[in-house]
Amino acid sequence: MSAEVIRSDRPMTAAQRATFQVVVDMIVPASADARKPSAAEVGVLDFIAERQPGELPAIARDMDRLDAAARERHGAAFAEIDAAARQGVVEAMRADDGTFLQNLALHTVTCYYQDDRVLTAIGLEPRAPFPKGYEVVAGDPDLLEPVRRRGSIARKA
Amino acid sequence: MADDIVDVLIVGAGASGAAVAWSLAETRMRIVCLEQGGWMNPAEYPSNGRDWEMRQYSEYQLSPNLRNRAADYPINDDDSPIAILNFNAVGGSTILYSAHFPRFHPSDFRVASLDGVADDWPIDYWTLEPFFAENDRNIGVSGLAGDPAIPFHEPPLPPVPMGRMGEAMGRGFNKLGWHWWPSDTAIVTRDYNGRGRCLNLGPCNAGCAQGAKSSADVTYWPMAERAGVELRTNCRVREITVAGRDMATGVTYFDADGVERHQRAEVVIVACNGVGTPRLLLNSTSARFPDGLANSSGLVGKNLMLHPFGHVRGIFPEPLASHFGPQGSCILSQEFYETDLSRGFVRGYDLQVTRGAPPVATARAGVANGTIPWGQDHHAAFERTYDRDINIGVLCEDLPEEHNRVTLDPELTDSHGIPAPKVSYTLSENSRRMLEHGVARASEAMVAGGATSVHPSPSPIRYCGWHLLGTARMGDDPGQSVVNSWGRSHDVRNLFIVDGSVFVTSGGVNPTTTIQAVALYIADAMKKNLANLFD
Repeated sequence: MSAEVIRSDRPMTAAQRATFQVVVDMIVPASADARKPSAAEVGVLDFIAERQPGELPAIARDMDRLDAAARERHGAAFAEIDAAARQGVVEAMRADDGTFLQNLALHTVTCYYQDDRVLTAIGLEPRAPFPKGYEVVAGDPDLLEPVRRRGSIARKA
Repeated sequence: MADDIVDVLIVGAGASGAAVAWSLAETRMRIVCLEQGGWMNPAEYPSNGRDWEMRQYSEYQLSPNLRNRAADYPINDDDSPIAILNFNAVGGSTILYSAHFPRFHPSDFRVASLDGVADDWPIDYWTLEPFFAENDRNIGVSGLAGDPAIPFHEPPLPPVPMGRMGEAMGRGFNKLGWHWWPSDTAIVTRDYNGRGRCLNLGPCNAGCAQGAKSSADVTYWPMAERAGVELRTNCRVREITVAGRDMATGVTYFDADGVERHQRAEVVIVACNGVGTPRLLLNSTSARFPDGLANSSGLVGKNLMLHPFGHVRGIFPEPLASHFGPQGSCILSQEFYETDLSRGFVRGYDLQVTRGAPPVATARAGVANGTIPWGQDHHAAFERTYDRDINIGVLCEDLPEEHNRVTLDPELTDSHGIPAPKVSYTLSENSRRMLEHGVARASEAMVAGGATSVHPSPSPIRYCGWHLLGTARMGDDPGQSVVNSWGRSHDVRNLFIVDGSVFVTSGGVNPTTTIQAVALYIADAMKKNLANLFD
């Protein structure tokens, strides 16, 4: 079997994977202060392969389209051209089709905001809500004084 | 056992069926309940896992058509701008409800007399008041006594925390001089009847792992089963059977193994919600009742009310820890609940302030609508939004109109081959105006509370058909109603309906507390009339 054939344990070709990693990093790059990783570092491809494997063929085709456009415009694979050139290719293709890569962007952030490093960076403990739960301030009951002073607003029935 | 006879057969183990089962259990009658779903396991609810946000929007989808669990039945809602939502399990839709628990107002029962539209109920608020209170005690309701918008009542538990987001909106409402109050909520805020207090897990709408949310499976059913009620799960009822003298004889159902069975009963109680109940009645045809059971009025399935829902999201400049706490319950405003014709519509709505979005939902919404961009600006835009957002739902009273209805789909069936319901619904001009007014007022409140950007959603929200009401209405006139003032069918004297189908009007609030109060009231009336129940 050729290594280039899409298999369940290797859902994309090497070229498609290279393009994929570059694209998800364009969607969510590492933060400037380096506290948050880039999307490529949090395993978006594995996440989609596990959770939404049925979507991989369409994503792979989109990677091929990007690569073809890069070769046509810049004579090199998408992963090999510079950042400005990549940006230009993506913007042109999204201008033609506003939904292009939108689904991938949603999967990317869905994976990204479940990653331990990301959750820690935004101030959350990386854990399930249950059983520890969370503390929430009760709120100031005196704020209700104007409502009480106004008195009943119930309609006579 | 296959064809023995029980005293009372209840169809449906949700909010109303559970309450009735518990109430009737003290009669020592033999009571059986058939439920098409099974028991839920709180250890499997999403908030037990790291992937809780994802699971909330997949296997715990609110729409049965998207969720497709084995217990679900399809609903053709293509002919409605509002999709039908429900859940099928022991506890019914209370498994996924937000537990926002405001009562109907006294005026809601006298809409025709006060405003000249719709009809009055044959019962009033004060008839139901003892049952509201009984229900609050039975299931554990939290809240703050003294809300000036409704008659005084005292919830047994203190309110859910407002949080800093509730305070921000409270200040906003105060600035405008509008009513607001901590919501009554069917969540136990202290340990109560063996259940642990709320831990502020967040996603109440995907089941409560702690059991603090007062869904019917953790409240009424343990009490009812201890009192001797038999609950048979994974049993889907196909039809109610009848014999001479226009009396129900029982039901035909498919058991957990898919075997068709008949259960005889002296009394049949239907508790399947405002879509499931008319579906069952319309599927129960016979030579004597060719148009469906209990349908001599022709009103079974008609007057469907859905509570059209608007939504506004506000983004605030400071962190509010807004996504922590019970997701669907915080504070409410009933400033615009009662009729003021100068607003351009009759009746009114509830402003329901709900919590902000958690991380994944924040990012997905922002990426989808373009407010959180790709690239290096992504992080700053996320941080400007996350935990700084507040939502307001505009829950509008829906008036009964006969053309809004549930019928049987000519082709669609469930997994047992039983014809599925078809919903035909049109948003009225009155509802349209009410939504427009409510979304504008909610936006105004957001600004008053300090929001720096306000984002109204297009109305009505499609996936908001939580509240299914009015399709087997109660009344004194058999020509204008399906059941009498205590839930008994005008046509079939041993058939009772106890769910939201019997509502005459919809009020402008989440209906479950009123549904359960009505169910307890009907059960009480049955007990008082046991000696001559069929006269």
